[in-house]
Parts: sequence; structure tokens; C-alpha cells
Amino acid sequence: MTRSKTTSASSAKPSEPAITAHPVGLPDEETIRFDHVSKFYGEVLGINRVTLRLEPGITGLVGPNGSGKSTLMNLMTGLLRPSEGEVRVLDRSPRDPELFRRVGYLTQFDSFPSYMNGFEFIYSYLRVHGYRHVESEEMARKALHVVDLEFAADRKMGSYSKGMRQRIRLAQVISHEPRVLVLDEPLNGLDPLARSSVIDVFKAQAERGCHLVISSHILHEVDMISDQVVLLSGGYVVAEGDVDGVRSEVHERPIQVLVRCDKVGFVAARLFEEDLALEVTMHEDGQGLLLRTPDAGRFYDYMNRLVLEHDVMVEAITVADSDVRAVYSYLIEQEGDS
Amino acid sequence: MSTTIPATEKVDSGSIDWELVRRQFGGILRMELRGTLLSKRMLAVLFLAFAPVALVAVWVFTPMPQAMDGGPMDSVRIFSVFFVLYLGVSVFLSCLILFMSMFRNEIQERTLHYYYLSPVPREVVVVAKYLAGQAAALGTFIVGTAIFYLLIVSPWGLDELSRHMIRGPGFGNLTTYVGLSVLGCLGYGAIFLLAGLLIRNPVVVAIVVWAWEGLVPLLPVALKKLTITHYLQSMYPVPVAAKQFFAVFAEPTPGYLAVPGLLLVSTLLLALSCWRARAMEIKYGGED
Repeated sequence: MTRSKTTSASSAKPSEPAITAHPVGLPDEETIRFDHVSKFYGEVLGINRVTLRLEPGITGLVGPNGSGKSTLMNLMTGLLRPSEGEVRVLDRSPRDPELFRRVGYLTQFDSFPSYMNGFEFIYSYLRVHGYRHVESEEMARKALHVVDLEFAADRKMGSYSKGMRQRIRLAQVISHEPRVLVLDEPLNGLDPLARSSVIDVFKAQAERGCHLVISSHILHEVDMISDQVVLLSGGYVVAEGDVDGVRSEVHERPIQVLVRCDKVGFVAARLFEEDLALEVTMHEDGQGLLLRTPDAGRFYDYMNRLVLEHDVMVEAITVADSDVRAVYSYLIEQEGDS
Repeated sequence: MSTTIPATEKVDSGSIDWELVRRQFGGILRMELRGTLLSKRMLAVLFLAFAPVALVAVWVFTPMPQAMDGGPMDSVRIFSVFFVLYLGVSVFLSCLILFMSMFRNEIQERTLHYYYLSPVPREVVVVAKYLAGQAAALGTFIVGTAIFYLLIVSPWGLDELSRHMIRGPGFGNLTTYVGLSVLGCLGYGAIFLLAGLLIRNPVVVAIVVWAWEGLVPLLPVALKKLTITHYLQSMYPVPVAAKQFFAVFAEPTPGYLAVPGLLLVSTLLLALSCWRARAMEIKYGGED
């Protein structure tokens, strides 16, 4: 699998485009391209001036709710039109219906025609694709087998559990053997066993040269399976590249943190000693610090130690850096959880 | 879990593969027909189509007191009942229910994207949905109209009825009544399909279209031609006098122009629906 070697964490600010440099790699027929793409819903920003080039493999789109993940996916599949810029998928416009012979999109919408059973659901849309009866039957059975739902094929989908519904929709999306799979929060609502088997499906699809674009608001979820990750925040791409690179670059970036606690002098001194503070501003009330730290992960671990070992009473710790704030706090939160 | 799906790709040469389009069209038509026939809205359509039939049956078969019994209806009264009950209420409301919901229901149930993520031109989806709706509506109203007409003329007695149907204008009238229902379905169906793509609230659409059609007598001649009633007028099986409420007070378009005219207007409305469907974004809740 060919991967982009570029790793970058762009300092996207509302006035600046998040543009990353890319080496000349695969031809356009093999890539998904966003070229200065913006999408506005009236006056509300969806995504702003996104430039991306995704190559085959598994790409994770990560960001908190409202960061623009679904907008990016809907633009990629023609459900939305960009307000500005151009999207090309395998060098075709997403508005070209023929593209959908090669693209499957698992949307966030947990919905389906209520009168159908699982088999009919997959079979019927294969007929809409233009496959003949026998072909459609065979392909539907195969897709059901891939997601381990053959046993429920004849049951009405209204009786399916959340996990089964997610898997039957996945089966419908892969049934026509697309080259590009766009999956919006595909692991939502799955129990650990189903999650593991669905991840196996993703890996198998990637191994056969598919593009998989998977969104999640949980980093470690896509971290495990992605070759490349795109971090989104507030409609901007804030970092993009291979997972390790993005992690380290985000961690290397000094960020501003606001700490409300007692013993502010003591805390500031210990942070300087540990090289965890580049600069510190004390609050006038003596109950807070505004500091810049070069390593958020280590900073949070160390603050935990101060609380446990030195009885420091912490009222709040807030990331005060506006442009990477959401992503950063998200990253820290996830790592703290794990 | 098996995880082997071979990658395949269709070769698209750029020219239209009509055989493929035919199969795709058939696939959508089957789904839409099944979805429509199994839906609750079909029950409403059946009720609207057969409630007037039931009313006429009650009128025909219930003995009336002498003072209230006006005797068998003449052809103008029969047409008045048909015009009000069938064209004005049943066909109109049934088309509103069936065709407004063709896209609107899929948007509300968040299932429209399945079509839009298939390699099928959106125009094919629009036409297949329209024809599926027409199949359901026409199947219901052709049967309903025929029973309605036969019931309403049945008080004439068997001998008179036989003469009317075989040697008189009965069969022609029956064909005309069925034809009016069919054309009504085609025209109103096209209007409401487009309305379902443009407007969320069916009540608003119903009121606007009903008012527009009801205002025909007051409209200038040019605007009359933008109503379904105007085209149907040329097919009325009774002479139209200005004092009759179903008259549109304009020289009716000759039949040989009215039917193609109505079909042309319906086709234009369908083309507008195709354009709208093609330009549509899927946001479920904020379609524009």
C-alpha cells in the first residue's frame, strides 16, 4: 500500500487555510482530493478551505461533534455540494452517479425502509445498481456472510439490535464491492465482539487496495486501525498525516493551559523544574496560572501526581489555546481514559 | 468471519447503457410499488377512492321516503356528483397523499440517500417514483370510477341501463369518466410530486393548489391553462353552461389538444422535479 509520507500538524486559524504539502504520489484516479473546499450552511461554517489528498489505505477522520467530519464525508459522496473549491474522488466528481459503482457510504443515519428484511434490503439496492436477479442474490448473500448476519437475513430490520442494524447497513455498503468505503462513525453502538469483527472487515477491505475513510470522535478507536489520520476541529483540518506523526507533532506543540488551584507558586515552580512550563502568568487572585506547556500529556500526568502527592487542590484545568483547543483537550481526554 | 470480497469495477464508456438503465428503473419501480402498496397512505387512498362509491351505494340501495326521493339522476347531476366527490376530493386528495410523500417521506424517514448513493441518475429515480405512484393511483381509480359510474346509473333499471350502455352513450360516458380520473391522476400527481420536493407542509400545498383550481373561473385565460381543470373541461361528458359550477368560463381547449396539453404540462412538471432532485442536497431536516 502506498502511503503519503507527509506528516503535518498545520496551525489552522480561522483566517488561514489548513493546507498541507503533498508529495507527488499516486495518480488522481487513485486518490480522493479536496482542493480548497469550504461548505457553509447559510452562515454556519461546515468546513473551511480544506485541502487534502487521501491515498488508498485506512484514513481516520477524528474530531469532536460538530468538527466537520460528516460534512467532509457528505461532500465526498455528493450528498452535499461544496460552497467553494472542488472535490474529486478517483478523479470523478461526486455528483457523477457512475462514481457509486466504486464508492460505498455508511452514513450516520440509522434508518432503512421499514418493510424490508435484511436480505431484501441489500438485494433491492443491488437491483437499483443494475445487477440482475441471480447476481444480486449471490452478492447479497455474500455481503451478509461477511458481516455474520446470515442467520438474521429473513428477519424484518425493525427487530434488529443497534449493532445488527449497523452491520446490515455495512453489508449493504460493501455488497457491490466498492473501491472507496466512506464510513461515518461505523463502530457506534457495537459491542466489543461485533466491533472486533467489523474492524476485521475494514482491514480486509484495506488489504485489497480499498480506500477506507472512517470517522470517529474517539481517537484511539481509529488509532488502532488507521494508516493516516486527519484531525478536524471547528471545520478546519488541524493536523494530518500518519497517526504517530500527528500525535507527536500535536504533543510537541506548546499549548496554553489555564489551571485554577491553590499553591500556585509551588505548582509553577515544580512545572518549571520538570520542564513542563515554558512561561507562566500568575492570576492576581493567587488562585490560578496561565502557562504554556510543551508536552500536554506529560503535563497532565504530572498534575495528577501533584494532586496525589502534594495535596494540591485543583479546581479546573482548561486548554486556553483557541485553535487547537478542542482537538487537544479531546486527545488528552482520550489518553487519560485509556 | 469471511473477509474476502474481490474488487471489481464496471467499465463505463461514457455512452448510456439503456439495458442497464432499464434494469435500474425496474429495481426502483419494484421497490416503490411495494413500499407504496404496503404503506398506510395506500389505505387512505383506498378509503378516498371507495368512500364515494359506498355513499352512492347507500343512496341507490336505501329506500327513500317518497318526498325525499328525487328519482334517478340525469347526466348533468351525475357528472356534478362525480366532479365534486371524485375529481374534486378523492382524486385530488389521493394524489396529494401519494405523490407529496414520494420524496417527503423518504426525507423524513432518512432513507433517500440510499438512492442517491447508487449509480443511478436521479432523473430515473424521479420518473420511477412517479410511475409507481401512478400505477397505485390508476389501479385504484380506474376500478373505483367504473364502479361509481355503474352504481350511480343503476337506478335507471336494468332495461334502460342495458340500452344506455350498449346502444346509448353509456359506454362512452364510462370511458370518459375513467379518462377524467386518469388524466386527473397524471396531472395532480405531477404537481404534488414536484411540491413534495419543494415544500415540507402538505396542508399548505393542498390549500394553494385547491384554491388555484377553484379560482379557475376567475382567472384570465392564459392562467386557466395552468390548471388541470381547464384541460379536463374539454372532456366533460355533459354540455357545459356558464351557470354550472364546474364550468371554467373559457373556451375549452379542443379534446385533441387538451389531452396532449395535459400530458405536456405533466411532463414539464416532471422535468422540473428531475431538475430539483438533481440539485438537491441531503441534509435531512434542511434540504435545499
